[in-house]
Amino acid sequence: MTTRTLFIGMDGCTFTILDDLCVEKDGQPAVMPFLGSIMARGTRAKLRSTPNPLTPPAWVSLMTGRTPGNHGLLDFIRAEERGEDVFFTLYDSRDNLAETIWSIASRQERRVAVLNLPFTAPPPKDLNGFMVPGFIPWRHLRRNTVPGDFYDRLKQDLPGFDPKELAWDFEQEKQAVDDLTDEDRENWVRYHLPREKQWFEIAKYLLKEEAPELMAVMFDGVDKLQHQAWLFLDPALQHDGVSDYHKRMRTLCLDYFRQLDGFIEELVTMAGPDCQVFMASDHGFTATTEVVRINAWLHEKGYLHWKEVLDPGSEAAKRREESMFANLDWTKTTAYCRTPSSNGINIRVARNPGETGIKPEDYEAFREQLILDIKALKDPVTGESIVSEIHLREEVFAGPAMMDAPDLLLVLRDFGFVSIKNKLPIVEPREEPAGTHHPDGIFIACGPGVRKGVQIERRHICDVGATLLYSQGLEVPGDFEGKVAGDMFIKPWLIQNPIRIGEATRGVNKDANAEGMADDEKDKLMAQLQMLGYME
Amino acid sequence: MAESKSAIEQTLIHIAADLTQDWGIELDQPLSAETRLVADMEFASVDIIQLIVAIEEHYNRPKMGFQDLLMNDGSYVDDLSIGQLIDFVHEKLTGVPA
Repeated sequence: MTTRTLFIGMDGCTFTILDDLCVEKDGQPAVMPFLGSIMARGTRAKLRSTPNPLTPPAWVSLMTGRTPGNHGLLDFIRAEERGEDVFFTLYDSRDNLAETIWSIASRQERRVAVLNLPFTAPPPKDLNGFMVPGFIPWRHLRRNTVPGDFYDRLKQDLPGFDPKELAWDFEQEKQAVDDLTDEDRENWVRYHLPREKQWFEIAKYLLKEEAPELMAVMFDGVDKLQHQAWLFLDPALQHDGVSDYHKRMRTLCLDYFRQLDGFIEELVTMAGPDCQVFMASDHGFTATTEVVRINAWLHEKGYLHWKEVLDPGSEAAKRREESMFANLDWTKTTAYCRTPSSNGINIRVARNPGETGIKPEDYEAFREQLILDIKALKDPVTGESIVSEIHLREEVFAGPAMMDAPDLLLVLRDFGFVSIKNKLPIVEPREEPAGTHHPDGIFIACGPGVRKGVQIERRHICDVGATLLYSQGLEVPGDFEGKVAGDMFIKPWLIQNPIRIGEATRGVNKDANAEGMADDEKDKLMAQLQMLGYME
Repeated sequence: MAESKSAIEQTLIHIAADLTQDWGIELDQPLSAETRLVADMEFASVDIIQLIVAIEEHYNRPKMGFQDLLMNDGSYVDDLSIGQLIDFVHEKLTGVPA
C-alpha cells in the first residue's frame, strides 16, 4: 500500500505570515524554505472559511464538505435556552450531522489515518485505519484512539511518545485567549514546540509502518501562537525599535515555524513523489486592535439585563464576571451574545406560554430594529461602523442546524471576537495588537497532476474535502456543497482522472435510542458546564 | 432483553477500569460498586463527562439523561459512586427504579 494523498492541516495558517517566512530576508535564509519550494512547484489559493471563521465549524466543514448549518458544529460550546436559564456543553463528534471524508473513504475501502483533527471524538465505528483525535485530554486519548490497540502500539514502538505532552490540556488551551504576562506568553510558545513534535512523530510512524492511502495530520500550534504572539509575527508590525523581549519572542516564534517546515519536509519526502500533497487551514489570521463589548452595548440599548450580583466581591461573583458565558436576567433580556467565539446575537422569542422574550409575530420587526441599532454603533472619531457586516441566520446557517445558530452573525471591522463582559467602555483600543481570525486561510497543493507555480482564485473550505476525495480517485458525494478544486490540476490529469459526482453521503442517525431528548439534552448542557467550572 | 444489574455492574466496572488504566492512580480497594469517582479515582469534571460518554457509547444510547444523577434538588452532587451509576443505568435500561 502506498500513500496517495497527504493532507497537512495548519490551524489558523495565513499567507500573511507564510509569504514572509518562505523567502530570504535581510540576508537571512528563509525560515520555511521547504514550504516555499512546495508553493513554487505547486498551486496555492486563499481559502474562504465558514461564515464565522472558527475552529469547530471550519474544520468540520473541511472534513464533511458541508456548511455549518448542515453539519451542526457551530461553536466550541453549545447552548440552549430553557425557561429562564441557558445551558451549555462542549460539542463533540456526536453532534456532527454530516458524514466525514474519513468515513466516506473508509467505506470505499480506503485506508485512512487521521491525526489531531478536532471533533473526531468519540471516533467513528466504521473507520478503516487509524485515528488519534484532537482536542481530547490525555487521560481520554486511549479510549478515543482507533484501532483499539493503536495507543499501546504507540507507547511500545515510539520512543518519546508522551500523551501528556501531545494531548489537549483544558487549562493550557484557555490561555490562547487570555491576557498573559510576558513570561507566560513565552512559556506558551515554548509549550507548543514539543507538542507538535509528538504529532509529527506519530505521522512519521504511520507513514513508515502503514502507508495509509489517505494520511492527514493537523498542527494546531500555528493558531495558538498567533493568538498570543501576533505582534511578533505580523511583518507589518516589525520595526527597528522593538524591545529585547520582542526580539526574543520573534526568535522563539520563528523557531516554531522553522520546526514546522522541517516536519512538513520530512512528511512530504516520506510520502514520496507519487503522492499528492495538500495543505490547508481552517481560517486565516490578522490583527485585532480593539475590544468590542457587545453585551454591554446591548444592555445600554435596553435589549439585555445583567443578573443582579448578590454577593459582589465574592469569589463566585468574580468568577461570573470573568466567565466566558453570559450571566443575564433572562426574564428581561430580549437579545444577547452567548459566547465570544460565536460573534453572534441571539434573539429570545417566547414560543410557549410562560416563556420570556419577544412575541413570535414581532420577530421580524424586532430583528430589523436591532440591525439598525447595530449599524448605528460607530467610531466616534472616524464615524466608521464598528460592525462591518451583519448576516441573517437564514443567509449563512441554512440547514437542519440553523435554529441552533445565532439570529445575527456579526463581523467586526477588525475581525475581532466580541467580548461579552459587563464592562465599559463599549469599544476600547487594545494596548497592543493581538491575533484574531481572518476569513481567508490557505490552500496549497503539489504533486502529480498539480499545476506548478500558480495562484488560483480563492476556494471555499468545503472544497478541501471534495478535493481530497478526488485525489483518492473517489466520487464526490452528490450532496457535498464543496466542489473539487479542478483548477489546481493540469488538464491532462483531469482528462485522465475526471471529476465524478456520485451518490449522496450516508445519513448519520443522531437520534438512535435517544430518550426524552429535548429535556435530557438541555440538562446535560448544564451538568457539563457546571462540572467544567464555568457556572456555580 | 435488558441486561441484569450484575451484568451492568461488570460492564461499568470494566469501562471505569479501562478509562483509568494508565492514569497512575492507586486504589486502596479493587474497583467495586462502592468506589467513588472523585474521592477514590481522582476524577475531574471533564473525566466524569468522558465516563458518561463512554457509557452512552457502550449502550448506544446517546441521551441517557445523566443529569438526573448529577443534580440533586437543583444542586450538583460532589461525588458519585459506581453503584449509583449502576442503579441509574439499570433504571434507564429496564424502566425499573433502583
